[in-house]
Amino acid sequence: MIVGSNLQRIYGKGSVEVRALDDVDIAIRKGEFIGVMGASGSGKSTLLHLLGLLDRPTAGSLVIDKVDVGNLNERQRTLFRLNRLGYVFQDYALVPELTAEENIYLPSKVRGMTSRECTRVCSDILGLVGLRDRVSFLPGELSGGEQQRVAIARALVNNPAILLADEPCANLDTRNSTTILELIRKLNKDLNQTVVMVSHEDWHRKYFDRVIYMRDGKIVTDEELEQANPPEQG
Amino acid sequence: MLEEEQVAFFLASRLITRGNKGTLLLTIMIIAMVFVNLIFLPSIIAGIVVLFNQQNIDYSYGNLVIEPREDQLLITNVGELQQKISRVPGVVASTPRFTGAATIVSKGKSTTPLLIAINPDDEKQVLNIHTKIISGDYLNDGDTGQILIGTTLAGNKDQNVDRTPTLGGVDVGKTVEVTFRNGVTRQYRIKGIIGSSQFSVDSSAFITRKELESVLGTTDTANQILVRTQTTGNEDAMRITLMQYGIQEKIWTWQDKSADFLKSIVGSFDIINVISTIVSLVIAVVVIFIVIFINTVYRRKQIGILQAIGIDRSIIIKSYIFQALFIFASGTLAGCALLFMLLQYLTASPLVFPGGPVAPVLEPMLLFRAIASLFIVSLIAGFLPSWLTTREDILSAIRG
Repeated sequence: MIVGSNLQRIYGKGSVEVRALDDVDIAIRKGEFIGVMGASGSGKSTLLHLLGLLDRPTAGSLVIDKVDVGNLNERQRTLFRLNRLGYVFQDYALVPELTAEENIYLPSKVRGMTSRECTRVCSDILGLVGLRDRVSFLPGELSGGEQQRVAIARALVNNPAILLADEPCANLDTRNSTTILELIRKLNKDLNQTVVMVSHEDWHRKYFDRVIYMRDGKIVTDEELEQANPPEQG
Repeated sequence: MLEEEQVAFFLASRLITRGNKGTLLLTIMIIAMVFVNLIFLPSIIAGIVVLFNQQNIDYSYGNLVIEPREDQLLITNVGELQQKISRVPGVVASTPRFTGAATIVSKGKSTTPLLIAINPDDEKQVLNIHTKIISGDYLNDGDTGQILIGTTLAGNKDQNVDRTPTLGGVDVGKTVEVTFRNGVTRQYRIKGIIGSSQFSVDSSAFITRKELESVLGTTDTANQILVRTQTTGNEDAMRITLMQYGIQEKIWTWQDKSADFLKSIVGSFDIINVISTIVSLVIAVVVIFIVIFINTVYRRKQIGILQAIGIDRSIIIKSYIFQALFIFASGTLAGCALLFMLLQYLTASPLVFPGGPVAPVLEPMLLFRAIASLFIVSLIAGFLPSWLTTREDILSAIRG
């Protein structure tokens, strides 16, 4: 599904050079729910940015869904993000002037769906994340947890092969975080969606199939977990 | 491809309708003002030019001016020529004139203005000078020993007020002494004072042709025949028609006669106009650019996120262009409304200029030019900031 080899991401030059990612090899199978964990500055977000085609590696190769994404131009990368990747940001990143439905409508419309199809898909997906009664609410009228669920719905609307989530619970309280994690876990299992999620909360690991720990731009441990039914938070 | 535009339009419409209404309204009003500024001054200048043109026709030249043939000083057989002219279709009337300098003296004050000898009845059908008698009466065809004096030439009792040589404030009923170029000197009673607001008229004196012919000892001669036509604007065609009717004298249009004067006026106004237009357009560019730029900078993170979720930069750029075009369209409409009110007001209460009342003249080309300029400016101002912002790498944009 995803194969990254000798991935490097170096910022700056000379004495101010920072190796945010240092020779990382990674392989992710279809349907896995992977947690990328580590302290601040360990390189976990950098790795997610590379997987999400938001950044280019300084060196190394990255193949997603059998496509060597290093060879894609900017327009192709944009199309790849639209059609194959879903990205959930830490701070929801919704367009404040668009309603919940319209935020989701946007990427589906760009993909070429008719307005009727878009409306149906948006309604279905908002139902999936439990927000069918919030379709016409603006982001400012939703709670943080609801906004993040809209963001997840937006990431899923084009039925991407891979869902990437960059600390999606960072701004949420424990109750809302649990809701979001359970939702992502459910989507992962029900839709057989590959999920890569960055987190620095240790208690999140019980939701993951596999946890990668990073330190100083390197993967230090890569651990398979047996947690088909995550325990209740507490 | 059309889907991209649909999405861009959808995004733009939501950003406009749900964005900051106050900022939007302010921006639209600024564009409206810029639009009015682009149109207003040129329309006033056009009004002044129209006034000058009309005055030239009504008080100086009529539509066409016939002058002596090459190598001749005078037009002879004027009566016969007038009859020939009157047969030409489209001609309303003609009036012969004899113009030349003469020295006029009043109570020791002496000046040498233009003395114009006219057939008063013919003049009434070609020019409007007879309507501008501010004191006394107009001349009659048979008048002798009487003179009309322009108000500028008549002058003021306090000569410090006068900017040109005058007769020191002469009035109706007073007598002036006129010395012609052939040395003949005669006394004339002032029959009327002309106040036309046209300098060339108000600084001249008028007697009848009958009077002048008695001074010069000539008959049926003139050095100009002014012709009034039914319509203004087809003088070139009328000139050709007159020639086809066998008139061999030199024929000038009023535009030919006033060309130098008008050219210098229009040239000066054009400079003002160009400066004003450039300043207005620069203001428009800067305002729309700043608004869109602040908008894009403010939404920099959002633009980065839109790109991150797969919205192509061309869609984002188009959405900002649509916003700029909306501002342009609304500003232009508001500007049209403002302009309409302003024009209505100024048509009802024209600006008073030394040459007469000036009402603004809105030429379609001027309107089109202003709209086209603002449209192009809006396109640039919408495109450039969004293009710059979307060129930035996505992560930098997202991080703000």
